[in-house]
Amino acid sequence: MRILFIVSVILMAVNLYAIFFIAPMVPEQHWAQKIFYVHVPIAWSSFLSYFIVMVSGILFFIKKDSYWDRVGLAAAEIGTLFVALVLITGPIWATPIWGKPWIWEPRLTTTLILFLIYIGYFMLRKFGGHPERVARYAAVLGILAFLDVPLIFYSVKFWAPQYQLHPQVEMNQQPDEILLPFFFSMFTFTILYILMLRFRVKISNFQYKLKTKNV
Amino acid sequence: MFITLLKKELFVELRNKEVILSMLAFGLTVLLIFSFSLSGNPKINHEIAPGLFWSLVVLSSSLGLHRLFGQEKDFDAFASLLSAPIDRGTLFLAKWISGFLFLFLIEILVVLPFFLFLGLSQPMSYFPGIGIVMLGNLGIVAVGVIVSGMAMRAKMSAVLLPVLLFPLITPLLIACVKATTGWYHLIPFSTWQFWVLIMATYVVIFGLAGYVFFEHITEE
Repeated sequence: MRILFIVSVILMAVNLYAIFFIAPMVPEQHWAQKIFYVHVPIAWSSFLSYFIVMVSGILFFIKKDSYWDRVGLAAAEIGTLFVALVLITGPIWATPIWGKPWIWEPRLTTTLILFLIYIGYFMLRKFGGHPERVARYAAVLGILAFLDVPLIFYSVKFWAPQYQLHPQVEMNQQPDEILLPFFFSMFTFTILYILMLRFRVKISNFQYKLKTKNV
Repeated sequence: MFITLLKKELFVELRNKEVILSMLAFGLTVLLIFSFSLSGNPKINHEIAPGLFWSLVVLSSSLGLHRLFGQEKDFDAFASLLSAPIDRGTLFLAKWISGFLFLFLIEILVVLPFFLFLGLSQPMSYFPGIGIVMLGNLGIVAVGVIVSGMAMRAKMSAVLLPVLLFPLITPLLIACVKATTGWYHLIPFSTWQFWVLIMATYVVIFGLAGYVFFEHITEE
């Protein structure tokens, strides 16, 4: 964990340097485009996190081990934090580019709806009653939320086809000066996410041991 | 067993009318608010009628779904029900279909005042609309029973239910409004058949999910 932490810090420092000093300015977007190197990796990490919530839910039912509930909770917390950051960085980019901070664009809307589902998820965790029961409910909700994602995306996409303003980036047409920092940022944020997840699970394991008086 | 459970749900509801009356009273009150808060222009009302109708249905259903497990909760009867050798999936099916029937009944009762109060013209054909409403109801109630089962024993269950239900049914709600708009505004079916497909997919996914996961939701 300590090595992973040091690697994450070094990678993030290099990543920030690459974003600001190596990646070129895109003429029509200027500084606003720089947020793309943060926004997309955070969005990717948040969806990865919600995928882990779903997998943890399935494993919780198969293995009947509360460890997977703690992994699910940790992934849900970090995923929701990242989704909140996506919802903040998106409008920061959109304000100068689209001229307004919010548009009912499919990916943005799907992210917002997922965020709201997970607000409900945490309320259920808090007010659901007995911890064992809450663990089961949370696992079911995590699975249902992920099943809902493609339906949300396609319904919003066809609900308002005029709002397809999200940049449809053809990655193979981008120059290497943009692609390399972008993929490096994706890698860095994934490593950061793994570190955060492991750290959070470790804390949850300690809390669980304290509660069950095994320490 | 399914028929017995369904009969039990219908019988209990016919005796105390808790779900139906709460949904009906709430639905009519919301309709009154819609009537006063809108412009009163029938042309504008005609344009937004499908959206208003489904808003009315979703708001009313959240109240009724909250009471779907009300009897079991109030009289602590759920433990007794679970102690019976009944497949939990069948229990879900009985709740699902009974909830669907209650919601459909409310819609039948509310639809006339809805057209009357908002000054709407009658649709050209009824059957496609009935089909859309039935499919929409199945989707809403499928998720509703799952969520209501979770919220039943929670603190703040009345708040928890809509907070969980509304975001989960967003794709279904969009599809319901779009399909109803297509039908009511006489748009050719080929342009809105996609929405019926989304609704059907939603019903199948969440119907199956409810059947499979209800055991984990109801476990003591």
